[in-house]
Amino acid sequence: MQDLKHLIKFENLLDDAANDLVKEAQAEGQYAIGYTCYHMPEVLLNVDNCFSTRMRAPRTGSIDISTYYMSNYTCEFARALLERGIEGGYEYLDGVAGVDACSAMNRCYEHLEVLECNKKPHFFVTHTDVPYKVEDYNVDQVATQMRLRLLDVMHEKLGIDVSDEAIRKAVEEHNELCRVVTEIGNFRKLENPPITGYEFHVISLVSYCCPTAKILPLLKETLEEIKTRKPDPKPWFRARVAIVGSEVDDLDLTRLLEEAGAMVVADRYCYGSFPGREEIRLNDDEDIVKQIARHYMMTSECPRYMAEEKIKQRRDTADRLAKEYGADGIIFEQMKYCDFWAFERPLASHILTEEYGWPTLSIDRSYNVHNSGQLRTRFQAFVEALEIKRIRRNAQEQEVVG
Amino acid sequence: MKYFGGCDVGSTYTKAVIVDETGKMVAGTTVKSKIIAQESAEIAMKEVIDQVEGLNSSKDLEYLIGTGYGRNKVPFADENISEISCHAMGVHVTNPSVKAIIDIGGQDVKGISIDTDGTVKNFAMNDKCAAGTGRFFEAMARSFEMSLEQFSNLSLSAKNVIPITAQCTVFAESEVITLVGEGKPMDEIAAGIEMAVAKRCFVMSKKAGATDSITLTGGCAKNAGLKAAIEQVLKLKVVDLSIDPQLMGALGAAEYARQKGLAK
Repeated sequence: MQDLKHLIKFENLLDDAANDLVKEAQAEGQYAIGYTCYHMPEVLLNVDNCFSTRMRAPRTGSIDISTYYMSNYTCEFARALLERGIEGGYEYLDGVAGVDACSAMNRCYEHLEVLECNKKPHFFVTHTDVPYKVEDYNVDQVATQMRLRLLDVMHEKLGIDVSDEAIRKAVEEHNELCRVVTEIGNFRKLENPPITGYEFHVISLVSYCCPTAKILPLLKETLEEIKTRKPDPKPWFRARVAIVGSEVDDLDLTRLLEEAGAMVVADRYCYGSFPGREEIRLNDDEDIVKQIARHYMMTSECPRYMAEEKIKQRRDTADRLAKEYGADGIIFEQMKYCDFWAFERPLASHILTEEYGWPTLSIDRSYNVHNSGQLRTRFQAFVEALEIKRIRRNAQEQEVVG
Repeated sequence: MKYFGGCDVGSTYTKAVIVDETGKMVAGTTVKSKIIAQESAEIAMKEVIDQVEGLNSSKDLEYLIGTGYGRNKVPFADENISEISCHAMGVHVTNPSVKAIIDIGGQDVKGISIDTDGTVKNFAMNDKCAAGTGRFFEAMARSFEMSLEQFSNLSLSAKNVIPITAQCTVFAESEVITLVGEGKPMDEIAAGIEMAVAKRCFVMSKKAGATDSITLTGGCAKNAGLKAAIEQVLKLKVVDLSIDPQLMGALGAAEYARQKGLAK
């Protein structure tokens, strides 16, 4: 396949949290609000003169200092972010919108404040609570928190217009971004897709890490390009997989999988497009912040929600996506020391195999997988097993037809 | 006669096997791995080529498959297949009644369950840590100032097992040195080491779904003390293979090469 016109530009944008588009927007007087979690409604950070930037720590090396502060047995993602903060990687931020979802990330936010990783006078770190289940009273609570602990803070610290009108405008732009990313992602359903899982991962990540207004025109152009892009006549992959699990912003993980012959067709993980790129449908009757809060709570696939119906939702979503995107198997991944996914993964990966019938590879991994030989072997063996199963299945089907 | 090759480039040993078109193994070798995987593969392949009349180089093989950690570095290989798939196939063609494998290589431990046609049904593999692998045994033998072979038989005479509490190779080595220094019986310490690794193998085999008819592959399969400890924790008799268990990866690769070469 011919290279995508903007792929290298997109990859470069992901090399640094303070990328060129972020700097460009800030030079025009906009404020950058960092966040780390789907529980924080991205769209509320894109109101008026603010833009959201999902925090990453690309090219993480040693995490010795953050390990000193946070101990060995805490999520590597949270430690990597703190380490980058200590290195000065988040000095560009004007605020951090945190959620009280997991204790490791809370420690990270606290240390970013306590260690004064950002010297801007107006810089703020704010926290909002996250409930354990989705009920009407929880939706009210989250909406109230979003007003008090986020929108009011943004208004007080940065003078942001947080009126319903401004929020509605942000939702419109957000929905447009979602439509474009979803349309690009839908090409992965095709038998021989004109896009690879790696390319989609890059596209999905830039949509989170860059100001929406700046990245949207480039994504629209990419969508048009993909519409007419011709894939190689014979598919390059040997099996199709869906990834489900915890935070993934490491392009090397997708690259490693695809080098082993597995096309990633669906990405149900934090920083992926499921959930994250669903349009927000608003009505004119109900409080707008409450509607947004409900949207994020209903679509969330985070194991922080421990209610039975949410646990079932997560399994059903994995099953649905794998079917819808024509996957041959599921990779169930978990960041090492992630509290919530560490409970979910061992059981859920068995259930997906035994009750839903999906071949499943269950892995725990570092924040950056680099070029892990052992992961490569596991991925390749899984692909080989999927490939053989598919060949056998096809042969059986042909026998039945014959 | 057509010949097919498999070359398993491991982190400590490189193995090569040639089979004929009926699947019969006609040559096999094990050589110490060099730092450069390609060199190891060249040496091993030359040894097996020399064992077969009519073959002059790897190019004369109908099909060649690389496997092991250096699988993509085998010169003239037609393709590479993971060692997990190859060990399953190697064991299957050696003894089709075996349904599960514990493969203990130089740097990892794998549990593999085998389907009826020799393909992988399920597998589990240890993470980055070297505990419970060939490197671990090398370090332990070094602590005892023994060869690997002497060490592997040492625990068989133990009347008691002294548990080793450290999982990490480095800490375990220092724990062993302390126990030896305290004058504890060497065979009982060795039994503790074998038991620690056997427990790790138990977890891998259970994770892979192994239930019965299990065998050991990889270099550590020759460790008699470990085999006895694994039989104890699994409450199963480990099946002995008629072919060197260290060659199973290369044999499986050669069998895949035969199937693919004949289907060409």
